[in-house]
Amino acid sequence: MSVLAHVLTTYRRYGEPMLVGWVNGCFKGKRSLFLFIIPITLYMVAFFLYPVIYGIFISFYDYSLGSPRTFIGLQNYVLLTHDTQSINSFFTTAIFVASAVLSQLVLGIGVALLLSHESKTMNIIRTVILLPTVFTPLVAGLVWKALYHPDLGLITYYLQALGINIGRGLTVERSTALFSVILVDIWQWTPLMVIIILAGLKSLPREPYEAGVVDGASSWQLFQYITLPLLRPTLAVALLIRSLDAMKIFDIIWAITGGGPGTSTTVTNLRIYEVGVQHLRIGYASALSNVLLVLGVITGVLFINLLYSKKYGGMR
Amino acid sequence: MTPLQSHRLKKGLLWGLRVLTIGAVVCFVLFPIYWVFATSFRERIDMFRLPPQWIFKPIWDNFKYIFRTMPVSRWALNSSVISVGTMMLSLLIGVPAGYAFSRVEFRGKRVLLTFILLTRAIPPLVIALPFRVMMQSVGLFGTRTAVILIDTVYNAAFTAWLMSGIFESIPVDLEEAALIDGCSPIRAFWSIALPLSKPGLVTSALFAFIFSWNDFLFALTLTSPPTATLPLGMLSTYGVMSIGWTYMTALGCFAIIPVILLSLLLQRYYVSGLTFGGVK
Repeated sequence: MSVLAHVLTTYRRYGEPMLVGWVNGCFKGKRSLFLFIIPITLYMVAFFLYPVIYGIFISFYDYSLGSPRTFIGLQNYVLLTHDTQSINSFFTTAIFVASAVLSQLVLGIGVALLLSHESKTMNIIRTVILLPTVFTPLVAGLVWKALYHPDLGLITYYLQALGINIGRGLTVERSTALFSVILVDIWQWTPLMVIIILAGLKSLPREPYEAGVVDGASSWQLFQYITLPLLRPTLAVALLIRSLDAMKIFDIIWAITGGGPGTSTTVTNLRIYEVGVQHLRIGYASALSNVLLVLGVITGVLFINLLYSKKYGGMR
Repeated sequence: MTPLQSHRLKKGLLWGLRVLTIGAVVCFVLFPIYWVFATSFRERIDMFRLPPQWIFKPIWDNFKYIFRTMPVSRWALNSSVISVGTMMLSLLIGVPAGYAFSRVEFRGKRVLLTFILLTRAIPPLVIALPFRVMMQSVGLFGTRTAVILIDTVYNAAFTAWLMSGIFESIPVDLEEAALIDGCSPIRAFWSIALPLSKPGLVTSALFAFIFSWNDFLFALTLTSPPTATLPLGMLSTYGVMSIGWTYMTALGCFAIIPVILLSLLLQRYYVSGLTFGGVK
């Protein structure tokens, strides 16, 4: 039944003004729950879809704030392929995401296994280690920046006291700057990994372990042949969530290095901010963010496919 | 040494190693948090003392100083208004949507759900830049409303997704019985499903609050000085007094204490939100 017919029949039935009749009709039966979808749909169209589409549209223009825009087709994207700074920012993002997330995965599994044992102390520890995840990222960045400070930072002081040569300071040397911000991301988000893996460990069946112990498997073998395969779906979801979030990194790097020294920690988000907000080249910044968006979606789709693929035993 | 003794020794060593590792992990995790609180009670001169003095006499001067010289209460007010506003708007839009997702089949449901999950994959600047232009053209740029609107995109989506899972775990029998007795579906939602889903509501509200409280990028791109939030204020403290760590950390306390307290008080809900979707 078309909407119009529906409106007409309700009109006849209730003998009320058309709209009121239609609304009343909607309140009959489960259909009325459609009303619940309307606000979020409108909201997402107005404040999510529209900005994304506007971003795609404007990326075909030479548009700087305050000056008229001119259509230039794909030139922003062509420009991008010649712009070493932007290309490097994609590599920096990739290195950042890959090393941060993989370290978090490995450390996460390790710490989760250490804490998996049930006791009061463990409960407290599990609560306490979650604190970094609520820490305002910008504050975390500034705190670590102080700890890394080349002259007065505690980290610098103790590393030097141990006789380790860190040059002018971890965040100041090109070779270690990216590592120093990755470490902060590891500090903040490994706990999330730990808590997801702990929840996964808790939901594992007991039988395979009992069988394994009867067969005389060592604890390493139990881990390798039982825990790891059974945990795979959980690990995949955790990796997906963390990778997508790590691609959004901004606050911490902004606070600690501001993208420097040089451009050694300029991830794409910082580059977009620099081009779009500081240089006000909105068209080009949009082209950059669209590429990042596509990369994000590809990462997401790849992971979801991996998650549901038969090869890894599937999700359910 | 008998085999039994060596076995015991090995076990003891392993136990010791385990405790040491856990201790090291906890110290690594907690040290920066301890440092914020400790430094905020130190004298400014302490920063320049190396090796660091681990024992010191706590003072309140830093807090007095930041309140005297900076609009701390305005920043805190802005942060609170934005967080509470986002929380309410997200629940208002997201909860009913989550209910509908879990209770009715309709065309385009998958599209809408995918769309909602996509918000998680979208880098913030992808929508923040166009959003900035949009807000400038409607005259909302530099207002708290602008930040609430953009924060709600992410949080309404998260709420709808989380709540659809929560409602799915509530049996439909009660609501169906009510429907047969002539109750409207909206009434059934309001008086039956909603009260049963309280834990989910708390989790959604908590996450919306923490998200907006901790947000820096959206506030940076959309606010003006009078509507600056605490993280933006912090940035200015680091900038102005190039190494005013004692002041910075005093202000930092204001930024992190509310979220730390909330996450500890509502720990169960916080953990359930973090692991939601992770294990299913």
